[in-house]
Amino acid sequence: MDEKIERIYVPMTESGFYILFCLQTPQHGYGISQQVKKMTGGAVQISAGTMYGALSKMEKDGLIRFSHEEEKRKLYQLTELGEEILGMEIQRIERLYRNSKGEYIDE
Amino acid sequence: MNKKETRFFTIADYEEEEQWLREQHRSGWKLVAMTAPCFYTFESCEPEDVIYRLDFKDPEENEGYMDMLKDFGWEYVGKCIGWLYFRKAAADVESQEEGELFSDNLSKAELVSQVIRFRMLPLCLIFFCCIIPNLLRFFHGEMQGPFDLFFGIFFAVMCVIYVFLITYCGTKLSRIRERYEDKNR
Repeated sequence: MDEKIERIYVPMTESGFYILFCLQTPQHGYGISQQVKKMTGGAVQISAGTMYGALSKMEKDGLIRFSHEEEKRKLYQLTELGEEILGMEIQRIERLYRNSKGEYIDE
Repeated sequence: MNKKETRFFTIADYEEEEQWLREQHRSGWKLVAMTAPCFYTFESCEPEDVIYRLDFKDPEENEGYMDMLKDFGWEYVGKCIGWLYFRKAAADVESQEEGELFSDNLSKAELVSQVIRFRMLPLCLIFFCCIIPNLLRFFHGEMQGPFDLFFGIFFAVMCVIYVFLITYCGTKLSRIRERYEDKNR
């Protein structure tokens, strides 16, 4: 994997994480924002400009790609690279979580 | 009924401009058009609390962007040298994020960087490549012809305006950017 991409995205912003997480199934920007609002109980909400900027950047970096169009809305989904990055981020968050509970990780 | 207002906001005062437009709408004047650099046209309307937001997009906004903002409930009002104007009724806003175009500090700081790149740098370029050289030529007495004094005064005035604008906007923009970069999450 491209080290530069890894450096940019791991660790990522909360918005970035939720966007990638939602795009495991094809979704459009507004749909993602609704899903994130619901799954976090309103704690994380992504505004329009932030969503557009994040999607454009992730598409350019090859983490997501255009899937299809529904009622003039562009739907995106994860690419293989995106899945890999999301996986790394999830591992990182799991480590944080386990450490926060006082657990040690021995590998 | 329409009214015209003249009010100058620099490229670093966009947050103040948003507030001013909101107050106008609250007192029954909704924005219909902007003409560079400082002329606003309002149309009388029912007084309402409406949130105005500015985004900076250069070189051109694209269709996908407009569609997405519409999805999020933003009405596009118009544009003026790179700035795009949007509004949304405060009654439709349930959370702080729904009333903003940008919800994280990273994207707020990114907006400032865009303004610096596409508006601040050209300003500096004009200053250093046009105003300063012309002023120097004048002081060295290189300008020939009947309009010497006129040009001299013109470039001197421009020089003062640009020094003010560049210092003011530069300081303020970098302060806004620092405010957001400090608490990146």
